[in-house]
Amino acid sequence: MKKWQVEVVMLLAALGSWFVVGTRAQAKTYTIATDTTFAPFEFQAKGGTYKGIDIDILKAISKREHFTYQLKAISFGAAVQQLSADQVDGVIAGMNITPERKQTFDFSNPYYTSGVVMAVAKGSKIKSFSDLKGKTVALKTGTAAATYAKTLQSKYGFKIKYFNDSNNMYNDVKVGNSDACFEDYPVMSYGIKNGIALKIVSKQYAAGDYGFAVKKGKNAELLKKFNAGLKEIKADGTYKKIVDKYLHSSESSLTGETASSRTFVGLFTQNLGTIGSGLWMTLELTVISIILATILGLALGVLGVMPGKIGPAISSTIIYIFRGMPLMVLAFFIYIGFPDLIGHGFKIPAFVAGMITLMLNEGAYTGAFVKGGFAAVDDGQMEAARSLGLPYWKAMRKVIMPQGIRIMIPSFINQFIITLKDTSILSVIGIVELTQTGTLIIARNFEGFKIWLMIAIIYLIIITLLTWLSNWVQRRIN
Amino acid sequence: MAKVIVKDLHKSYADNEVLKGLNLEVQDNEVVCMIGPSGSGKSTFLRCLNDLEVPTEGQVVISGYDLSDKGTNINLVRENIGMVFQHFNLFPHLSVLQNITLAPTQLKKSSQEDAEKMARDLLATVGLSDKADAMPKSLSGGQKQRVAIARALAMHPKIMLFDEPTSALDPEMVGDVLDVMKKLAADGMTMIVVTHEMGFAKEVADRVVFMADGQIQESGKPDEIFNHPQSPRLQDFLDKVINV
Ligand SMILES: Nc1ncnc2c1ncn2[C@@H]1O[C@H](COP(=O)(O)OP(=O)(O)OP(=O)(O)O)[C@@H](O)[C@H]1O
Ligand SMILES: [Mg+2]
Repeated sequence: MKKWQVEVVMLLAALGSWFVVGTRAQAKTYTIATDTTFAPFEFQAKGGTYKGIDIDILKAISKREHFTYQLKAISFGAAVQQLSADQVDGVIAGMNITPERKQTFDFSNPYYTSGVVMAVAKGSKIKSFSDLKGKTVALKTGTAAATYAKTLQSKYGFKIKYFNDSNNMYNDVKVGNSDACFEDYPVMSYGIKNGIALKIVSKQYAAGDYGFAVKKGKNAELLKKFNAGLKEIKADGTYKKIVDKYLHSSESSLTGETASSRTFVGLFTQNLGTIGSGLWMTLELTVISIILATILGLALGVLGVMPGKIGPAISSTIIYIFRGMPLMVLAFFIYIGFPDLIGHGFKIPAFVAGMITLMLNEGAYTGAFVKGGFAAVDDGQMEAARSLGLPYWKAMRKVIMPQGIRIMIPSFINQFIITLKDTSILSVIGIVELTQTGTLIIARNFEGFKIWLMIAIIYLIIITLLTWLSNWVQRRIN
Repeated sequence: MAKVIVKDLHKSYADNEVLKGLNLEVQDNEVVCMIGPSGSGKSTFLRCLNDLEVPTEGQVVISGYDLSDKGTNINLVRENIGMVFQHFNLFPHLSVLQNITLAPTQLKKSSQEDAEKMARDLLATVGLSDKADAMPKSLSGGQKQRVAIARALAMHPKIMLFDEPTSALDPEMVGDVLDVMKKLAADGMTMIVVTHEMGFAKEVADRVVFMADGQIQESGKPDEIFNHPQSPRLQDFLDKVINV
């Protein structure tokens, strides 16, 4: 009895220290967010490090201007949201300087100028915008290319389909679900050079400037340093070297992968480190969330069958709220919405936010079946225990709970598996778990089928192991 | 002072008044049997005596403790009243021995060792020495009920309540359970027994109480009740029971 109490206290202490560490570390160094899949501006190289024009420019400037930063690779949409919610200090992600964005952000001097192009599948007959009538166009949310394509929509009469990252967008065009996509020219040409089966069929439109962004009125000093550093690296030739390196070379020489590593096994061994760390993150999240969700679920279940009206009402309300909310909405709310509400630069590390999200959501589901399990225990059991003089909580713990939990074991196993799978949704707040690892690897080598097959097999293996373990525990208990 | 004092006890479920003003006193060492038609409120009455049901009105005093008094520790009172249910309500996840030792050890009445020794003595009394390590689901109904009685006795209660302890049993099991109850009565236990076993009532009861329509209609020595019933209600009831 004492032992589990100690464990709970330790777990809470660990959580607390995470908060403190998370908040402090970010106070000293700048946190700068970038996109995950926007080669050649940013992409993950073999071994999990990030490379690209943006990354190298930032690194060169920070050296000149003597500031330290922590790079946070998340989706472009999340990066922009987090900047406006003051969760990060700056964003460098091939971000176009637009009048609209200037309302919320302050931009550096432009560091790159690029235009938007239209790309179609290699064998496609589409040659110009006028061929798009009635067709579907794939766009990446929040990009300048998307904004530009939107202005063409009413004139050329096409349908729009949105994606969160470039690779899924390219793929959709490649397999023929969509007929065309719009993308920044350097990004598109880099991808095609590296094996994406698309072709560019338009010239560059709506040329725009890329800028480094900070939240309006904040981090003026960082912006000043960036501008000064940019001027220096342009003057001493560093800038040109960086751009040439990425635009005039093929991907493999940058990511360190060889052509022979494109077999299934080759890809697996090449990416073992990245996949391994993604898998580890998934397992860590799963185990901690299962523990927390089970504690919360048991509490909600006990509250739900308590005599009187208040306990059950509280329990039902909590279950109703967190079971009803889509996991992704809850994750965004806790990671971005909640700190925004509190203000004062309050930050939650993504891992902690992810854990809380899973705890609340899975805990609500757990609470519902725990309540049902306790209610399924015959009323006579409680009466017999109470008539012996056992107080309510003792009767609950010694008589009702052991019987109820036995009824619930299959539901628990089921919930554990769901929790494991749900961790993949947390990639939206930038947690690099197994699924996100897949996205990142594909972003640089475009081997969608093989990598997703690999990831799927890994999930199935863990779920099989988890099921075996649970069945073994179940046999032991009965 | 009487062991059990009930004064003007009322109990309603919503608009349905199940108990309509009962008065009863049970003395030390007395065995009271309650008989009456189904739905007359016998179980409800019994459950009011250990606070499993809260009376709507009236007073229940057990060994000097007034149950309606907020300051009364109901768990202490319950330690003094054992209750045996029609459907046994053994704890299915615990062995026979653990069923009996759970309350004494949890309530710090005795050490694990003492509790087990006492449990084995009690099992011997109810004739189930060989079943200490069995799980409840492997027992027959009669054996389950005898374990339930042993479990209640482990708290050394001063009063025992029985709610139709033999109604759910096959006829050939009834005798074993009744024998245990007779032994208890002979040892001087104060008992209130709701039963349809008229033979047991005649033989063991000091007093028989006839309940109908939420009220005590008649009470007296077994001979008075069974051989000289006064009210037509009781005569009618006895006719039906004896003709079954
Ligand atoms: N929890 C409850 N809620 C509502 N009504 C109840 C409840 N418990 C008992 N009653 C009602 O109270 C009345 C008396 O029930 P009780 O169980 O006390 O009768 P009984 O004399 O024990 O009958 P039996 O011989 O069938 O056991 C019945 O009409 C029953 O429907
Ligand atoms: Mg009854």
